[in-house]
Amino acid sequence: MSFAENISKQFAEVSNTNVVELRKNAFTAFEKLGIPSSRHEEWKYTNIKTKLNEQLSLTPADSQVNTTVKNYIASLPPYAFRIIFLNGIFHPELSIVPDTKGLTICSLKEAFSSHTSLVERYFGKLINYNEEHFAALNTAFVNDGAFIHVQKNVAINEPIYIQYFFTASDVNAFTQTRSLAIVEEGASIQIAEDFRNASNINVQYNHVSEVFVGKNASIDIVKLQLEVSNSIGIHTLESQVERDGKFSASTITFSSPNTGTGNALIRNNATARLIGENAHADLNGLYFGKENAHIDNHILVDHVAPNCTSNQLYKGVLNDESTGVFNGKIFVRQDAQKTNAFQSSKALLLSNDASINSKPQLEIFADDVKCSHGAAVGQLDENALFYQRARGITKEEATQILTYAFAHEVIDHVHSKPIRQFLCDKLKDELKVNF
Amino acid sequence: MLSIKNLNVGIAEKQILKDFNLEIKPGEIHAIMGPNGTGKSTLASTLAGKEDYEVLTGEVSFNGKNLLEMSADERAREGVFLAFQYPVEIPGVSTTNFMKAAVNAKRKHQGLEPMDAKDFLKLMKEKLALVEMNKEFTSRSINEGFSGGEKKRNEIFQMAMLEPTLCLLDETDSGLDIDALRIVANGVNQLKNKDRSFLIITHYQRLLNYIVPDYVHVMYGGKIVKSGGKELALKLEEQGYDWIKEENSELV
Repeated sequence: MSFAENISKQFAEVSNTNVVELRKNAFTAFEKLGIPSSRHEEWKYTNIKTKLNEQLSLTPADSQVNTTVKNYIASLPPYAFRIIFLNGIFHPELSIVPDTKGLTICSLKEAFSSHTSLVERYFGKLINYNEEHFAALNTAFVNDGAFIHVQKNVAINEPIYIQYFFTASDVNAFTQTRSLAIVEEGASIQIAEDFRNASNINVQYNHVSEVFVGKNASIDIVKLQLEVSNSIGIHTLESQVERDGKFSASTITFSSPNTGTGNALIRNNATARLIGENAHADLNGLYFGKENAHIDNHILVDHVAPNCTSNQLYKGVLNDESTGVFNGKIFVRQDAQKTNAFQSSKALLLSNDASINSKPQLEIFADDVKCSHGAAVGQLDENALFYQRARGITKEEATQILTYAFAHEVIDHVHSKPIRQFLCDKLKDELKVNF
Repeated sequence: MLSIKNLNVGIAEKQILKDFNLEIKPGEIHAIMGPNGTGKSTLASTLAGKEDYEVLTGEVSFNGKNLLEMSADERAREGVFLAFQYPVEIPGVSTTNFMKAAVNAKRKHQGLEPMDAKDFLKLMKEKLALVEMNKEFTSRSINEGFSGGEKKRNEIFQMAMLEPTLCLLDETDSGLDIDALRIVANGVNQLKNKDRSFLIITHYQRLLNYIVPDYVHVMYGGKIVKSGGKELALKLEEQGYDWIKEENSELV
């Protein structure tokens, strides 16, 4: 069976009765797009076509709770809200969702039936499925996911922790997961999305987050891609920010050694669209590559409205033969006067075989704007290393301390205190820094 | 404690130290003076183990051990301390965390457990007082945004924390106003004891008004060309280095 036949047969079997029209359109668009090859400009440095298995299986795999899942859940800090998915399927018995006034948290499946008007208004509305291969595929096939809605002027101060485990036993499984968050005027939340391979085989998944930030609302989202090994993960984060709204996203990627002949490949597409005046977006990222890991961050900040501000801060630490890609675009439309947009990408190459492809892009159609970008690739400061060694600290530890300092800046920007602390500990652990 | 014999050192194919000799005994304070470019800082960096400097020939023994065989960090753990002429700024690492790592590296070397948090804070408080620094300094990133005087006080603070046996002060007095100079000198004087030796590199006699040396050496053309007591420093202050240059014109 050819790739196209296989996909189309599976789509015919998708028995969703919800948002059928949108799914059909998304599917038709995907049929045209297919899986991008490295000839596609946006996929030049990430040859996804050769990495994904030929016969993708898009129907949800079984989702047995295994000991890896149990142990990891037990190790989590006691977050007030915890939503757990296995292979994209919601597991209420593992989740904790206390009733909270003004806050709705449920599975996307449930939202399709009980929050129909919100779903119809928001689901898939930020996806450009005529151009975004994987977001189109996800929109066509996604079976379940997380649905979060915060009513006007409601502030949720505890982070909402969404855990996506992958436990599939089928190497062809290409799991589709999704989050939809809608934060109404004046409301605020913090979300963490954690992705983890809990199987002993190579997993493949395709995640989409759609985030709507209302007027004067705020969302702080942290994507945790920790201990990435034997995984191919494609992430699309689409956000829209209205007047006076604030959006902040931090994508944290740590690769781990693979077992056998695995790949660790992560592609993050993150987009913030500032559609109302005085809106603000922070898109930050931190990534650690090991072995043959490949970590690709594609960022787009789209300044649609005037008087908006945005910041991008990406930092990478690449070891062994790992590769990084940074592609950061600032797009300032003609009406977006008085835009302030900044971008910085810094990568440390700690081995001779590690590499990064960095491509900052500015496209500016307004005349009264302040934009800047900087991309730096380098090694650790020799003087700072020697200064520490002159105090008795070994070269190895001095390297770790400097790397910690370099990376910590990104974690500092995470708003949620418990998540920030969790990441800080993770970073210390990773670098064996013990102060 | 420190014995330097016929030391020849070069950097980037250029020889800087030429048959340099010096003996320092426990508890002694030696000052090295001399015009710019005579190798004073090269001496300090070489002793601290900076890898850019290549030791061509010669011997350096420190407490009976071959110093030149040790890495920079090993030397520090063995008790060598260099107060930098230009202390390095390290954004993102607080002085507290830095000192914790350094103190515990030394303790590990001595076969001791890491210091517990309470004792460490107590030690910091005590040593901060020596250089009249307040606690707030130590929570800031190392030397970041510090004034020249603050950076040099931070060096002496670190020296006090690590309790070295050989203290190398590389132009610690340069760029200091009179108050900072007094504070730095006071710190050093309080650290003086019968086992701890100092090698103070300076351009000017003024620091030596506060820290009284046992010996003053004049370096020129990569070696010591004159040694004497503290009165030699006064003569240099009065007459400059020209007479030294004339006496040793064959060296350049």
